[in-house]
Amino acid sequence: MADLTVLDEKAQWEARVERLWATRPSRWRDAWYELRRNKLAVAGSSIVVFFTLVAIVGPALAPYDYAKQVLSDALLPPLSKGHLLGTDELGRDLLSRLLLGIRISMIVGLGTTAIALSVGTVAGMLAGYYRGWVDRIINGFVELVWGFPLILIAVLLIGAIGPGLTGVVIAVGFVNWAGFARIVRGEVFALREKEFVAAARALGKGDLEIMARHLLPNVVGSALVMGSYYIAIAIIAEAGLSFIGMGAQPPLPSLGQMINEGSGYMLLNHWLSTIPGIVIVLLVLGLNVLGDGLRDVLDPRLKGVS
Amino acid sequence: MVLILAISSVVIFYALRSAPGGPSGGGVLSPLSSQEVRQAYEKRLGLDQPVYTQYFIYLSHIATGDLGTSLVNGTPITELLKTHARNSLILGLTALLISYLIAIPLGVLAAVKRNTWVDQLAMGGAILGMGIPNFWLALILVYFFSLRLGLLPSAGCCDPPQLIMPALVLAAEGTAVTTRMTRSSMLEHLRDDFVRALRAKGLPEWQVIIRHVLRNALIPIISLTGLRLGWLVGYALIVETIFRWPGVGYLLVDSVLRRDYPVAQFFSLLLIFFVLLANWFADIAYGLVNPRIRVA
Amino acid sequence: MSADVALEVKGLHTTLFLREGRVDVVRNVSFQLIDGETLALVGESGCGKTLTALSVIRLLPDPPARITAGQVLLDGSDISAVPEDTMRSLRGDTISMVFQEPLTSLDPVFTIGDQIEEAITAHRKVSRREARDMAVDILKEVQIPSPEQRLGDYPHQLSGGMRQRVMIAMALVLDPKVLIADEPTTALDVTIQAQILELIRAEQERRQLAVLLITHNLAVVSQVADRVAVMYAGEIVEEASASEIFANPRHPYTQGLLSSIPSAAGESRHLYTIPGRVPDPRLLPPACLFAPRCPYVISRCWQDHPALEASSGHLLRCWNPQPFTALRAVEPEVDRSVATSE
Repeated sequence: MADLTVLDEKAQWEARVERLWATRPSRWRDAWYELRRNKLAVAGSSIVVFFTLVAIVGPALAPYDYAKQVLSDALLPPLSKGHLLGTDELGRDLLSRLLLGIRISMIVGLGTTAIALSVGTVAGMLAGYYRGWVDRIINGFVELVWGFPLILIAVLLIGAIGPGLTGVVIAVGFVNWAGFARIVRGEVFALREKEFVAAARALGKGDLEIMARHLLPNVVGSALVMGSYYIAIAIIAEAGLSFIGMGAQPPLPSLGQMINEGSGYMLLNHWLSTIPGIVIVLLVLGLNVLGDGLRDVLDPRLKGVS
Repeated sequence: MVLILAISSVVIFYALRSAPGGPSGGGVLSPLSSQEVRQAYEKRLGLDQPVYTQYFIYLSHIATGDLGTSLVNGTPITELLKTHARNSLILGLTALLISYLIAIPLGVLAAVKRNTWVDQLAMGGAILGMGIPNFWLALILVYFFSLRLGLLPSAGCCDPPQLIMPALVLAAEGTAVTTRMTRSSMLEHLRDDFVRALRAKGLPEWQVIIRHVLRNALIPIISLTGLRLGWLVGYALIVETIFRWPGVGYLLVDSVLRRDYPVAQFFSLLLIFFVLLANWFADIAYGLVNPRIRVA
Repeated sequence: MSADVALEVKGLHTTLFLREGRVDVVRNVSFQLIDGETLALVGESGCGKTLTALSVIRLLPDPPARITAGQVLLDGSDISAVPEDTMRSLRGDTISMVFQEPLTSLDPVFTIGDQIEEAITAHRKVSRREARDMAVDILKEVQIPSPEQRLGDYPHQLSGGMRQRVMIAMALVLDPKVLIADEPTTALDVTIQAQILELIRAEQERRQLAVLLITHNLAVVSQVADRVAVMYAGEIVEEASASEIFANPRHPYTQGLLSSIPSAAGESRHLYTIPGRVPDPRLLPPACLFAPRCPYVISRCWQDHPALEASSGHLLRCWNPQPFTALRAVEPEVDRSVATSE
């Protein structure tokens, strides 16, 4: 009888332990759950999503043609009749121009980063996986390009091909891919040594399959974090270049361009420059905060680290 | 490094000359000038010859120490080099100094007081610093301090009051990034095993943090200085242009826009050389600062 | 052997305050450290022995860990709640601790000379020269060759064994009363282990040190310990002199530990392993913590939590202790049909 009591108690207790263990979520659900809970990620992504929507539908909803000049209505302050954000020195509606400017920024930012991310990830993966001479060549390029100031390259490039958004896009893409390549390469270096790669090889899996199915999911996280930051960098770079006249040409209302045009009117009509500036700050802030949030989730050891 | 410079010089040389629009000769020529005037001008400057010939002529000139003169106002480049390089150095070093003096203490404080209001404030400021486009910041500062309050001059060189705003604007992004890096590096090293052992020796906490943890945490930061310098070069182009600070950046932008080939060529190569040097220095610095590599 | 109690721990409770709730990791632990004697605190990873040591020297990571009850009496006065400043002056001077991994326990960017001198000047007003001399002396004592040259070396330039000697030197340079050694040899080669243990033993004799040795390795225990306390899931389950523990282990867990040592003249072909796992601290067995894994379990073990009581010269926490010869490896059932079908 004593034995039965013992076995019974033991069984009950073990059942409870089992239940405790069963409540552990899977890895991806874990990540998603954490992501939703992380305030930074939520805040950042809301801002980014908002601006993306604006970029997509905004210009279509604009009350005026962004290039239409109505000189008699020049320099109206915000909240004037018919012009929510006022007009610039040529009577063009600021809101309409702003909407298009946001779209330009987003396209440049997302576009260049998408390209840089793809090229960089592939390069980094190849370099990290194959090592040897492949790595030396690729890494040689990466190291060369990585430290280079974006603006310098852009200025020189635009000096060569003339001002315009094309130059900006090429310049940004040209420098930014290296950042991704570096990170991916570093991670692949480390991952390569882990047992699951050896195991996969032992099972006869080909290089491509290993890279795509095993390594890629592991580096995707870091790439996304970097991506957030790089979109922000691209947007600021485009704005800066347009500001000094090397980017988008008038009448295209790049945000940087608008700030430049408005700079002469700072004393009395500062909104021409301040408003586009605030938009850039918000957008870039959203992206950086999103990047931080993503990093918190994907590398929780660094939680609380900006 | 020499190879890169050589290749770059060729690339730049060709690129500049193939850009749409010819030189404006500082107002001598305009898009309305007649063909003959333009051709005469170009012949005088040797610009009518094939590009590669021009390149070799240029190289021979460099070899003899003749760096050329500006197409815009005839100033010898060596002159320009002295004045503008000096100005850029003043601006750059001031900005660098400001950013480190602010960023490192702030980063340490944020790490030690992690997740308190001090930390949030510092990180909030840092994120803002990274997000504000420096040219816009410049405009805002000029608006407040020059236009409204009349405290600081909005442009020009070279008195100290004129240095303040450009240096602050130039330092902004670097400060923000360095603060974040310092904080994260500190947080990483605060978790190192030796910290516990140091406390077990009975060392006062401040000594543990400043003498030991910070020293370890600064290693990546110091070696990053080289890269920071590189980035500063880039931002300087914009800041100098806005504030009309006559440095190399201002000169470069201006010369590219005005097709002042000799100037644009030389100074872009100079900047590239400087960035390469800074990157190289970053690598060396890391080796020097980390005893594990230095005394291997 | 003197009877002076250097350190006494009474009813120590340490708790982790986590997001999910409170978890007790050190439960009602009591022991004494005597001058010139080594007490080994033994148990598997996660049983709370390191946390006990950290509690004594008050180096718990706070948050999330804190001492929630009990006393730590050093020379009669309780140090478990004194202000941090006071504690700091004790650390390194009166109570010293040596850790497991000597490479990561030393600051990589400072020379060993600097680090030893730092330990000295933190507590004594001496000149740099005097500190340096003291450093050289202590390095000689722990048998590091050419100590003057070693002062200028960086940690990564020395071998693991030498580094551990340096750690011990730093811990003993100010002649403390108590030395806590947390797995001091685990990260070292076997041959070096013996040397380090011998060094600790020699220093103990010379200085009449009270040593608290934390380890999971019974071979280490047999070499240096005078007394042994066995911990399981945060509690002490048995305590006795070293010879007694090895000759006549009374607690089933202790017996299990001893049975799992591979012996050179092995009788059975399969090594005994204690079935089951260390309990998750969030969900502990209701009474005796070892009950789910115990070969002698009776119904009382699931109903009443056993207290630590004196029993034939040991302190023991068990309702149904049995003599030692009872445990043997259980031969696994091999399906012979599979083996022969190839």
